[in-house]
Parts: sequence; C-alpha cells; structure tokens
Amino acid sequence: MKTFGIEFVPMKLYWRTTYYSIQAEKVGYDNIWITDHFNNRNVYVSLSVIANYTDSIKLGPGVTNPYLVHPVMTAQSVASLNEIAPGRVLCGIGAGDRTTLEMVGKEMERPLRTVRESVEIIRRQLAREKGEYAGRKFSTTAGARFNFKVEDEIPIYVGAQGPRMLQLAGEIGDGVLINASHPKDIEEAVKQVRKGAEKAGRNIDYIEVAAYTSFSVAEDEKSARKPVVPVVAYIVAGSPKVILERHDIPAEKAEKIRTDLAGRNWGEAFGAVDQEMIDSFAICGTPDQCVEKIENLFKKGITQFVTGTPVGPTVRGSINLFGEEVLPHFKETN
Amino acid sequence: MDYREMVKSIPLTIRRPISEKLIDVLLEAKEGKKVPSSICKHILYYWNRDKLHSELGLMNLLKAVELADPKEANIVLAEFNLCYVKLTSSPDN
Repeated sequence: MKTFGIEFVPMKLYWRTTYYSIQAEKVGYDNIWITDHFNNRNVYVSLSVIANYTDSIKLGPGVTNPYLVHPVMTAQSVASLNEIAPGRVLCGIGAGDRTTLEMVGKEMERPLRTVRESVEIIRRQLAREKGEYAGRKFSTTAGARFNFKVEDEIPIYVGAQGPRMLQLAGEIGDGVLINASHPKDIEEAVKQVRKGAEKAGRNIDYIEVAAYTSFSVAEDEKSARKPVVPVVAYIVAGSPKVILERHDIPAEKAEKIRTDLAGRNWGEAFGAVDQEMIDSFAICGTPDQCVEKIENLFKKGITQFVTGTPVGPTVRGSINLFGEEVLPHFKETN
Repeated sequence: MDYREMVKSIPLTIRRPISEKLIDVLLEAKEGKKVPSSICKHILYYWNRDKLHSELGLMNLLKAVELADPKEANIVLAEFNLCYVKLTSSPDN
C-alpha cells in the first residue's frame, strides 16, 4: 500500500500550521510529520493542537533527536499525545542536524549507539517494562517507569541518511524516514535498510520505508523550483560525504554552505545552490512531473512518500494541487 | 461592527467562494499575529467541519481578516460586488 505523509516546519503561527494540517487530512494524506528544531515552535505543542483539530490523520515528530531531548521525555511526549489522538501517533527519531546541534554546543557523539539506545528506551517506556536499563549512553532505573498505561502501538521511525544509520533503521525501526529525494539515493538507502533488516532476521516488507523529501509542486516548473532552494541548502550542508560524492558535489562547497547557514548568511548560502543540487535533493515540478518522480521512488522500494518543506510556492495552493492532481494517481481520495 | 449583519447580507450562493478567498488572505497576511488566538481556534473549528462558509464561520473569518489585512479583504469583497460590506482599517494597519 502506498501512503503519503506531509512535513511541516512550525515556523508559522500555530493556527496556520494547523490549518494546513486539517487541509492535508481533507485531501487524503495519511500522516503528518512535524519537525523538531529549537528555533521553531515546540513540536509537541504543535502536534497537540493539530491532534485536537483533526480526526484520523496520523501524526508525530519528524524527527526528534536524543541529544537535546532525553528518550524518556520523547516516550512521555508521544504517549501523552496518544491520549489526545488514540492510535494515531507516530514517533520519528534520528541523530539530528549537525548544523543546529552545534549552535547550542552539542556534538553528535556516537549517533548509532545513541539512536539505538533511544529507540530501546522509548519502547521500554511505552511498554512500561520493569527493571533497569543500562546502556552505554543512557541508563534508567526501575523508578523511571510510566505511571500510566499506553493503550496503543506507537510505531517508531528512524530518521536516516548515511548507510550505517539506514542499516540500524532496518534492524530496529518500525519504519525508516530516509532523508533523500533522488532515485539513486533511495535505491541505495533501501539496500542498506534491507541489509540491516536481514542482519536482525527481519523482513523489510514489515518496515515502512518513507522517502522524506524536499518537495514543491506548482502549475509551472519554474514556480515549483524556486521555493526549494533554502531547504536544499540545509540538505547539502548536512549531507554525509558519501552522498555528496554520489552527486558530484565538492565537499568544500557543502562546507561553505554549512558555515554560511551557521552564521545566518542566508544570501551566500542560498546563492550557492545550483540546479544540479535541486535535482539531487528535491522533488519538484508540475503535477505530472511530480507524479513521474514519485512513481519512480515507489519503484525503488519506498512504501511512503513524504512531501517535505516547502510543499510549494503557497502551501494551501500546493496542498490542493497535490490532492487534486497527484494523489489520485496513487490512491483513491475523497 | 456587526459582523452577523455583514454576513447575512452576503448571498448564500457566494459564501463558499468568498470564504476560500478570505482564508487565502488570512493565511498570507503579514499581520496574522494580530488575530487573537480565540478567533483562530474558532476558524480551525469551523474549517475542520467544512463550515467556514457558514454564518458563524464567515463571521470569524471577517473578524480575523479585518485585523490581519483589511485592505486585501476589502478587495476580495469588492470582487464579489460586496462594496457595501466594508472592513475598517485600524490606525495600526
């Protein structure tokens, strides 16, 4: 089954993000992912409001990270959200964004170990498992157990881009959020997820594989391409060496963009994004162009396509366009 | 400003298209933060129920756009030949 998610970065007034979330539910999206960065509105406040004003769409952080939020707090947050929206909660967790972690003096230490233990702790908390957890990054005592029961399953998606994190996602995730938009990257990513799944004796068919893309749809191609530039800048800045090499992007160019973003030199950073970078790291174009690109990604093994920021030149217009002219190619809609 | 009377004067047949245009104004308005949270929550309530074009939905929309961008909202109303329904700019706008 092909499912569709939409990502919102809570940069806008809460009621605008919520309006678009209601709209996403109406046009037929299955999931809403809200990003978690300290310089935007709080992810769980945003999700709570959305949960209150929607009826069936699934929702969750996409993704939180264990360097800034202890996994017991993530477990608490998604469990509490589940009381507002029973059976509708998802949990996306990953190593985070190196650029933004560095802004607050946090180093991305041992990301694989940190994410693995975080997922284990979140699952233990949600299941109210008794006893201690003694990991290498985190530990909990018996007293850390929830005082309330969580009635529903909350699938945990691992956010991943590099090969080892993708393998980890295959090993332990209910789903994986692949930070990629290009078929080459998705194909390679799915291969790594499968490798990790097989290592753990799991079948990849039971893992939700989501392409978490930078997306933009508009009536004409030029209008669709322009809004993705800032997002592509961040993606280039945060991409591992192996990804940059795959797309022939010099490491120095990516590092310069990263430095400019960290220093809030937006003009410099965005000005360095070229058309090849857009084609490598975004899905954008007219509805027909987007249908073709999305179909290509499903053929490479994804089961969920996420329309990430910016969605389009105007969010409302582009969500409507997506619902009317893209989604019907893939599923029956309202 | 009697918003109820304003809405009553809008023909039923054009209430849905007007609500679509007014929500566009509201979502793009630079002064969106001037709209109190209470009005926003009403708008979300009616939007969730596909009732933004109802009498109460439109009342809340008009209150909101009058604060957020009355100039643009009046243009929309004029497009629907509703020049007699005029939102006032506050000194801050």
